[in-house]
Amino acid sequence: MTATEADTAERLLIEAAQKDPARFAEIYENNFHRVYAYIARRVGNRDIAEDLTSDVFHKALAGLPRFEWRGVPFGAWLIRVASNAIIDRAKRAAKETDIASVDEPSEPSPQMMEEIDQRAQLFKLVDQLPLDQRRVIVLRFSEEKSIREVALDLRRTEGAVKQLQFRALQNLRAQLRKESGDTNG
Amino acid sequence: MANGSLVEQLDAAVEAILANRELPLPGVNSRIAPQVRIAAELRDLPRADFKARLKADLERRAAMTAKAPTQFREGFHTITPYLIVNEAAGLIDFVKQAFGAQELFRTTGTAGGIHAEVKIGDSMVMLGGGGAWRGTPTPTGIHLYVEDADAVYERALQAGGVSLYGPVDQPYGDREASVKDLSGNHWYIATHKGASHVPEGLRTVTPFLHPRGAPQLIDFLKQAFGAEEQSRFQSPDGVIHHATVKIGDSMIEMGEAHGPAQPMPTTFYLYVDDVDEWYRRAIEAGATSKGEPTDQPYGDRVGGVADPFENTWYLGTPIKNAST
Repeated sequence: MTATEADTAERLLIEAAQKDPARFAEIYENNFHRVYAYIARRVGNRDIAEDLTSDVFHKALAGLPRFEWRGVPFGAWLIRVASNAIIDRAKRAAKETDIASVDEPSEPSPQMMEEIDQRAQLFKLVDQLPLDQRRVIVLRFSEEKSIREVALDLRRTEGAVKQLQFRALQNLRAQLRKESGDTNG
Repeated sequence: MANGSLVEQLDAAVEAILANRELPLPGVNSRIAPQVRIAAELRDLPRADFKARLKADLERRAAMTAKAPTQFREGFHTITPYLIVNEAAGLIDFVKQAFGAQELFRTTGTAGGIHAEVKIGDSMVMLGGGGAWRGTPTPTGIHLYVEDADAVYERALQAGGVSLYGPVDQPYGDREASVKDLSGNHWYIATHKGASHVPEGLRTVTPFLHPRGAPQLIDFLKQAFGAEEQSRFQSPDGVIHHATVKIGDSMIEMGEAHGPAQPMPTTFYLYVDDVDEWYRRAIEAGATSKGEPTDQPYGDRVGGVADPFENTWYLGTPIKNAST
């Protein structure tokens, strides 16, 4: 799909969701990883990232009827909403701890957005891993469990879990290379 | 075994990456260096159930948004405050005289009390009680936006209201006065100084609560009724002075109980798309049942719950084949 075709598809989806909010689920699926990756990178805390991601999508759903297409893709609008939510939270935290001012993060640079897109792509690829490998990656990285705990959860030996982790990371690397069209290394 | 040692080396690197985000990536065999960089990115991988939970929540919310505007009885929005008092007839007279309310409906309920529905500006208010009814009144705090707060305040006093405070210019941009009627309802009569005398997002009537534990009430409303927090103004010690939450197409305002502003457990009539589903959800969120959903002769299927703050919520869905 070309960029123009993708824009048109997104625009049609937004218009459909404005008439039928049930279609918002598709917008969510298309944008979840990107918004989460952006927020997680900015705040570096999983609980806060979940709260803010939830806020952003609730605001997006509530604001959908008023969203007007003015050349800015919906995804970029979501990132702006996320950026504002991060700033608001930082200001609130600063007030609560009596800090005089908050450094407001600037708009994300194109380079940062490229990194965020790559990370979102990586998170999507985790969903496509074989089940055993996926479970190891999720338990290890999302739940931050030790090899021993993962082994107990999955009823596998620690050695087997390390092998699965190894293969999963190898797989992810291969998929990322494939998607970026890189064959060199 | 060479591969075995790479497996161990990669795991040691993952362990180091997970233990401390601040440290630079550990040095490893170049064959696994890209995997280590991927592992570092995966530290922000969302929890497995979070994406699904949020999606389910948004879908419920979307379903409520989709059906809210078309499904209710004409003139009603998602939330209608239900003022239940001992002197219902007197209260109806008061709101007519003081606020120009239009009486649209009045009947005698099965418990012998009045049930009435009045329209004030663009908002519906239910009034109940009086007659042979014997129960616990639930007078309510109401934020009432009018064109001329000073004049309406005077009319409310002439109609028998008691002044809580006279008209003042508030720092948040409203001219505001407050009156307590003879049934104990508190009316915050305000004129917004802006493009309209009603602030954007509000209507003529908005219920105003003073709970003890506003953050917990907000959490409950989110969980039970899919409420969305619109604003929160709180002091450094975490006390909420003013917050607004939206349920469906309607707002509730609140501020933590303080001084003379003490909790007034309130009764609400809440129109929902599926009373049985929302009743179940409210109970799961910690509400107690006041009556399971049943079809009522007036055309709504209604269930009742009390929240942990003693507010009563009648959840109603129009029965599809009922004559109107």
